[in-house]
Amino acid sequence: MSAPEARALYRAFLRHAQHFGTSYNIKEYVKRRAREGFTEAQAVTDSAELARVWEQGRQQLEVVRRQSIVYGLYSRRHRHAMDLLKQEGSPAR
Amino acid sequence: MLRAAVSGALCRRAPAVCTQSSALIRFFSAQAEPLPEAEQDVIERKGIQLHGAPMYLDMQARRQPQNACTPLLLCHCYACIAWLQPGVVLMQALPLCGTLLMQATTPLDPRVVDKMLPFMTEQYGNPHSRTHLYGWEAEDAVEVARAQVARSIGADPKEIIFTSGATESNNLAVKGVAQFYKDKKNHVITTQTDHKCVLDSCRYLQQRGFEVTYLPVEKNGLINMQQLADAIRPTTSLVSVMAVNNEIGVVQPLAEIGKLCRENKVFFHTDAAQAVGKIPIDVSAMNIDLLSISGHKLYGPKGIGAIYIRRRPRVRLEAQMSGGGQERGLRSGTVPHFLAVGLGAACDIASQEMQRDQKHIKRLSDRLYNGITSQLQGVVLNGDDTARYWGNVNLSFAYVEGESLLMGLKDVAVSSGSACTSASLEPSYVLRALGVEEDMAHTSIRFGIGRFTTEAEVDRAVELTVQHVNKLREMSPLWEMVQEGIDLKSIQWSQH
Repeated sequence: MSAPEARALYRAFLRHAQHFGTSYNIKEYVKRRAREGFTEAQAVTDSAELARVWEQGRQQLEVVRRQSIVYGLYSRRHRHAMDLLKQEGSPAR
Repeated sequence: MLRAAVSGALCRRAPAVCTQSSALIRFFSAQAEPLPEAEQDVIERKGIQLHGAPMYLDMQARRQPQNACTPLLLCHCYACIAWLQPGVVLMQALPLCGTLLMQATTPLDPRVVDKMLPFMTEQYGNPHSRTHLYGWEAEDAVEVARAQVARSIGADPKEIIFTSGATESNNLAVKGVAQFYKDKKNHVITTQTDHKCVLDSCRYLQQRGFEVTYLPVEKNGLINMQQLADAIRPTTSLVSVMAVNNEIGVVQPLAEIGKLCRENKVFFHTDAAQAVGKIPIDVSAMNIDLLSISGHKLYGPKGIGAIYIRRRPRVRLEAQMSGGGQERGLRSGTVPHFLAVGLGAACDIASQEMQRDQKHIKRLSDRLYNGITSQLQGVVLNGDDTARYWGNVNLSFAYVEGESLLMGLKDVAVSSGSACTSASLEPSYVLRALGVEEDMAHTSIRFGIGRFTTEAEVDRAVELTVQHVNKLREMSPLWEMVQEGIDLKSIQWSQH
């Protein structure tokens, strides 16, 4: 497990977080929790602990992947108030 | 015609070439078409228009009584609402409170959903069937879940019984213990701010000849230990005190109460539905004999809970559900194994995430409270400001009507502290027990903050709250008088 691999894993979390359909809260939580998790893992030096944390990260990615599909299939037909706000707020639209 | 339809389907939905069979399936399936852009952002329910699914800041409410506002209340709100939201169309007197005072809960954590799904699809066996793989798998899963629940409160798996929720656990604890020991002990003690199911169970016992003491609470929501010590008699079998109050978020001194009860050889039951997974609980250190857990308060599924029943020294109780003797004869009925797995996973995740969640929730709670109090005057926090769980912020806004404020905050799913019962506009019994005055009790709003709440949502909630409170106060003659320096208490209101 190397630094580029860890970065790729983190990016994978962020990519899959977008696919949770209209579940704004879950989306934001996945991003926040991934950031916190990887920040904490940066401080780990012991190799056995590092391997365990890496494996945990990979398993959590699997959970995120599966659940992003499930949540996407059953999402609401209306967007979340906060997503609307973001959309109204950004001048690019 | 079919060919034309299929090719039409192909053009409409899939520019890429796909096989005829999948095109056929898509043509025949009733997959919902996405809404047109114009309708995508507005949800219309019960005469209210919501812009997008509302933000959820209502993590604490439990089993509120019937939520139907009387027409009288709505008439009172009409003027305010017409003013606040010109676009809103209000039809006749509708139970609007129902949409906002939701039976609140927490969303399922996706990790919990992930653990539950296999048991809702392939592994569907009855955990009590001893003769085949399906049963064995289900039984193993339930035992694993039991161990997870036990570990989160520092108990032994043999001491955990699965029930249908904290209401059932509370009923089992209060009625079960009181009825078992009724020959020698017929006294039960609880608090005035306890949950309705505990209070109702005590009333049930009173109707059958038991004696019940309802301890008052101080202004900050905490009980007085001396009053509790005085209330304990030689004939007391049970003391039931809620760990974290669902309306005001106050945390009772469990360790002290446990110690007092152990000294007096009285069983100590606590309804920890709002506490498990949020504050550290250790049943041995706190001398807790019975504890109720609710699944849907810790990001688990609804319809499942658990009760912890101490084995050393043994607590005996009478089962309230008769049947096949499942769960050690204390709670008959098939254990819903997928729900139990969900509860176990939720407890497990909660114990791992507790520190992280506490930090996050405290940060957001401070942001909410400071954001509101720095921009508004006359805001009171109900309940003690140190012995509390910060995910539950109950604020009273002076000179503002609570339900009108809720109407304005329809984009934020919060709760009013006032229990809208179908026949009366009584303020919540918890706030009444705290000694909060009628007008302040009516204006209380409870904000619930949880693992999934974001900073942006809190900022938006602060913004909306301040905006609407100011709007309502501008319209209020009472506020005008207060600004002029008139003391409202000195006014003699005339009858018309």
